[in-house]
Amino acid sequence: MTWDWNFVLKILPRLMDGVWYTVLITLASSAIALGGGLVLAILETVSTTFGQAFVRFWLELFRGVPTLVLLYFTFYVLPEFGIVLPAVPIGIAVLGIVYAAYCSEVYRGSLITIPAELRDACVALHLSPYITWQRVLAPLMIKRAAPALLNYVLGLFRETAVLFALGVPVLMGEAHEVGYENFRFLEPYTLAGVIYLGMNLPFLYLLSKLKDKHA
Amino acid sequence: MRAVLQYWPVLVQGLCITVWVAVWVILGSVPGAVILGALRLSERRVFRLASMLFIEFIRAPSALVLLFWVFYALPLVPGMPRLSPLTAAILVLALDGAAYGAEMVRAGIQAVHVGQTDACHALGLSKLQSFTKVILPQALSQIVPNFGSLARSMVKWTAIVSFVGVQDLLYIGNNIRGQTFDAVTVFCLLATLYWILTVLCGVAFRVLEQVLPLNRALRAARMPSQAAPEADVQGGAQ
Repeated sequence: MTWDWNFVLKILPRLMDGVWYTVLITLASSAIALGGGLVLAILETVSTTFGQAFVRFWLELFRGVPTLVLLYFTFYVLPEFGIVLPAVPIGIAVLGIVYAAYCSEVYRGSLITIPAELRDACVALHLSPYITWQRVLAPLMIKRAAPALLNYVLGLFRETAVLFALGVPVLMGEAHEVGYENFRFLEPYTLAGVIYLGMNLPFLYLLSKLKDKHA
Repeated sequence: MRAVLQYWPVLVQGLCITVWVAVWVILGSVPGAVILGALRLSERRVFRLASMLFIEFIRAPSALVLLFWVFYALPLVPGMPRLSPLTAAILVLALDGAAYGAEMVRAGIQAVHVGQTDACHALGLSKLQSFTKVILPQALSQIVPNFGSLARSMVKWTAIVSFVGVQDLLYIGNNIRGQTFDAVTVFCLLATLYWILTVLCGVAFRVLEQVLPLNRALRAARMPSQAAPEADVQGGAQ
């Protein structure tokens, strides 16, 4: 089978739909992951043994079980409890929650590097705990964790391809469908690969910039 | 619950396939990671650039996209072989693992003191000798723990092989779900099994850490610290 440019032009608009979905899902899940991770990290530092045990369990669960299994689990089990959701929000939520667990580790790591004197200073200035976190610790944590967090967002973006298992029309899903409709697999999959490759470039550029700044 | 457990023989089969794939993927990614990681630090600019491009090229589309491309699109390219699902899956995942592992190898090698390389040069060791006999054994104590967490991820990556028809744990689980309609039990069981596998993988790597040359040497150096005078006496007697 040879490469057919006309076919490429024909399927390109549909693949672009997939790109749009991929971007949307990446943005939504990374918002959940970055925000949720911060909340989890703060929760673990502030709370007592129970909160810590809860966060630890959460982390271990999501680190040991494939995302695909969690996706299937949510997709097939929720309807049994009478909650029927479309695949897109399920995908966004599961990816977001799984990566929130990873991100909380990163936040916690950066929190450790903040010197203890800073907290003492906050106490000396009589700042309330809320202000201490909101104005002093959290911004510092985010700043220091930025490169590692971006790495996880990149990983999340790559993992969105898995959502095609639930029928979400991400780029991978669109390529799969177009391939089956026309019984031509060479062009859709190759194009999908090239587009995914291209979509990585902004991330890599940002990462190298961040690294320069921190080095 | 009981309906699901009736299927235990196929579940065990699926588990075996998952373990088989995971073991080959982890073993297969090791040489690739070492070679790519060493090339990343080569003195020749061409090697450095080529290995960097190769790593990014493998990592950029996720393993899933790569797997579909290798399985469906590659045989359509003239002169390319049609791989069996299992071969394609192991090949793609091992390549992906090598690309991610290469960065760890690079970081590990960079952590070894530069003086070691200079000393090898002064002793007249060849580049290959100094890498395999001096630098790598020391770098290993940094690489192996990181590689262990990567290996845990690799066990999880194997879940995607069911898409190309490899009858692994997830594939079997989905089949059982189709027959018993008991999604809760099936997926809880799958999650538990995968979780146990990743934990076992972590344990295996922690054992491996214990037998690394540098860690063993460090332990040996720490142990007889009280008995040092005795050793001195023996040394003097000879």
